[in-house]
Amino acid sequence: MPLRPYLLLLPAIAAFSLFAAAFVTFMVVSFQTATPGTVLTHGPATFANYSAVIASPLARSTALATLRLAGLMTLLTALLGYPLAYVLARSTSRLLRRLVLFGLIVTFLSGGVTRAYAWLIILGNRGLLNQMLVALGLPTVRLAYNETGVVIGVVHFLLPFFVLTLLAALKNIPLSLEESARNLGASRWRVFWHVVLPLSIPGLVSAASLSFAGALSAFLFPELLGGGRVHMASNVIFETILTDFNLPRVAAMAALFLVLALAALALLGSLERRTAKLWAGATR
Amino acid sequence: MKSLTSYSPAVAALAALVMAFILLPVAFIALYAFNDGGYLVLPPKGLTLHWFVNFFEIARFRAALQASLVVSAVVAPLSLLISVPAAVAIVRYRFPGRDLVNALIMSPLVVPGVVIGISFLSLSARVGTGIGLLPIMVALTCFAFPFAVRALVANLHGLDPRLEEAARNLGASRWKAFLFVTLPQLRPGLLAGGIFVFVEAIDNFSIAVFLTNSRTTTLPVEAFSYIRDFDDPTVAAMAVLLMSLSVVLVFLIDRLVGLDRFLDLK
Repeated sequence: MPLRPYLLLLPAIAAFSLFAAAFVTFMVVSFQTATPGTVLTHGPATFANYSAVIASPLARSTALATLRLAGLMTLLTALLGYPLAYVLARSTSRLLRRLVLFGLIVTFLSGGVTRAYAWLIILGNRGLLNQMLVALGLPTVRLAYNETGVVIGVVHFLLPFFVLTLLAALKNIPLSLEESARNLGASRWRVFWHVVLPLSIPGLVSAASLSFAGALSAFLFPELLGGGRVHMASNVIFETILTDFNLPRVAAMAALFLVLALAALALLGSLERRTAKLWAGATR
Repeated sequence: MKSLTSYSPAVAALAALVMAFILLPVAFIALYAFNDGGYLVLPPKGLTLHWFVNFFEIARFRAALQASLVVSAVVAPLSLLISVPAAVAIVRYRFPGRDLVNALIMSPLVVPGVVIGISFLSLSARVGTGIGLLPIMVALTCFAFPFAVRALVANLHGLDPRLEEAARNLGASRWKAFLFVTLPQLRPGLLAGGIFVFVEAIDNFSIAVFLTNSRTTTLPVEAFSYIRDFDDPTVAAMAVLLMSLSVVLVFLIDRLVGLDRFLDLK
């Protein structure tokens, strides 16, 4: 009966339609003008919001800063996350594996506010780290309320996602390949470089694009740890709506941000497919 | 015979450092929450439950906690109700438009939270409902149910459809066969998807912040504004409560599904 799958999908289609309705409304609003003193907007259709956003220097510097910071965060996440995922995938101790997995999933589920706040306590001007430095007679450092703090916080936020995603890919690489290479006399480093790393590239790319998507839409961390000095797209959009409730202008900003994010992710997606095609033969 | 472990002690040490980096903030926030005094000194001068009492004494936090629990208690089951039939359709049927439907259902996951927040803000302004808990529930359900679909699709892919066919051949109705044969086997996917959506609904900031106001807030939004206005460990106490919740959930996952199986369904 060909109708049945569509009936089964009905609730999901209804939810998606609401999402799409919200989306269309927001796109329509972005071409309208705010009615002063109300939350309402009115026509006629205008490009004024878009041209104002594109012309503003803040929007351009924000777009660049968002891409640059998201790239840096992804790179650091990958560099820190890879060794942990690898040890986790290859550890022979069941207890160790379980403990690490437990820690990762708890951190992963304990939420953004919790972790952003934790970093505020540690990195803040009167925070733990600076207290320790003072106690040791060392000069204090400014790690919060600037890019450094935001990068540390977001990398910490992304690490469990990255490690758990890469772990799945690393577990699929047969241990026998590494053992053969070792038996034939290759050093651990050579085995990693010539066997493990190439075979893990599809998984690495997909874990990295997941992290990049998370980094691009970072909001809470720059808001709390950036001290108003770190302008990533989400924050600028949020602060604009707080200072001046001009929904059409903010909608235009959000639409441009969405285009930027989707373009970056599509680029990564094509990289993902290409690497999967290039390296897939070997993993299966 | 030389050791054949695939990683060197140096790599193991590096991994341990990264793990410490991941767990350290969690440990510090717990210390801070039980610490006697406005800011943390090491070692702590004394321990207190004052900040927990404070959290529950502040009416705004109580209201926000209640709002968040209500939101998650609605969003998680609702998402599962939407997702179970959708996952069955995607895995068990071949029909025109299947790939498109699949891609569309997953699309909320790639849209930045702020954009979703602005979208539902625009919609609620247009429809005239205003902002509040109802729009938050709607927005979070639309955003989060794909997580549950993903877990259930992975779960269903691993099941043998012949079991359900056997039940049908023995005379069970389609509905009965699903209820008594397939649904029990979906327990891991329901649990993984349900927990994922539940946690996302409790923790969501980027969508909820656009749909809350001074009268109705959720826990993360209230915590955010408290951190901006006050400098004391009340939010650390809240963080400890949320972390305890996630520890309980992970124990539950491990007991009922197993951590490895959970990760396959994530």
